[in-house]
Amino acid sequence: MSGEKSVSFPKSLKQAGLSMLSMMPMILAIVGLVGLFQSYITQQMLVSVFDGNAVHDTLVGTLAGMVAVGQAIVSYILGGELLEQGVSLYAVTAFVLAWVTLGVVQLPMEASVLGVGFTWRRNLLAFLSTILVSVVTVRVLELWR
Amino acid sequence: MSGTQRRPHWMGVRLLALVILLYLGLALSGSPGVLSALHKALGVLETLLPILAVVVIISGAINYFLNPKALAKHLGEESGIRGWMIALGAGVLSHGPMYAWYPVIAELRRHGMRDGLVAAFFYARAIKVPLLPMMVAYFGLDFTVLLTLLTLLAAWGQGLIMDGPLARRGAVRR
Repeated sequence: MSGEKSVSFPKSLKQAGLSMLSMMPMILAIVGLVGLFQSYITQQMLVSVFDGNAVHDTLVGTLAGMVAVGQAIVSYILGGELLEQGVSLYAVTAFVLAWVTLGVVQLPMEASVLGVGFTWRRNLLAFLSTILVSVVTVRVLELWR
Repeated sequence: MSGTQRRPHWMGVRLLALVILLYLGLALSGSPGVLSALHKALGVLETLLPILAVVVIISGAINYFLNPKALAKHLGEESGIRGWMIALGAGVLSHGPMYAWYPVIAELRRHGMRDGLVAAFFYARAIKVPLLPMMVAYFGLDFTVLLTLLTLLAAWGQGLIMDGPLARRGAVRR
């Protein structure tokens, strides 16, 4: 995929660096919000919102995954803990999936960089997909196991 | 990362100011979690900086090596099954938080990447290859295999919808 190379590679790098620099306020803001969420949203708070109903728990799991932030590995550990505490697999699957694919905290940046319309549609599709994938996964496993 | 995007994003500046005010407010009110939050945020930033450096290099390389014709062939209207494979594969293999990839994706879209492929890329990121053994340990092999397959299918399905029904209504930039 060779290009026309109208600019040198260092100049391309400089342009990319400057562009990244212009996004730093948004990135720093998101990092700040991530810190607040990780510090103030506890596991007990997450457990308290599930009631055992599959439909309710799948929806809440998706919403909780959207709000929670951090490395994907943390979602597996938290998901395992939630299962241990009796939260349904529907909720945990939705939670783990939404953790990585959806994010309330990063929505402003996605809208700013990729456009409001695109962001709205992509996140709506991802939200519906997360619910669908979670329900189908658990239903198939229930039949399989 | 086009030249028009090099001015600071005002939404970002406003949000950053809001977050700083939030930290200051929590600190002044004596909230015990604020120092921990700051510590965690700095930890996230420390992890993120090398990833952002990689993103800058990839963006620079895209600017330098790719031309719209070549990109259209691989990720544009005519990309076909190859485009889906690239988007899904790149999503599965990409590291770091989603927002670190926005600049690269913005650059690729500017060069003609289809929105359906962007949606597929972002959703395929739910599959983390290095973490699959851990998922197996926590949730079982059958769960992991099924969830991985369904996630890939969902990513592809989202892409088809973004390029299909939504695009036909003029909702998606093509």
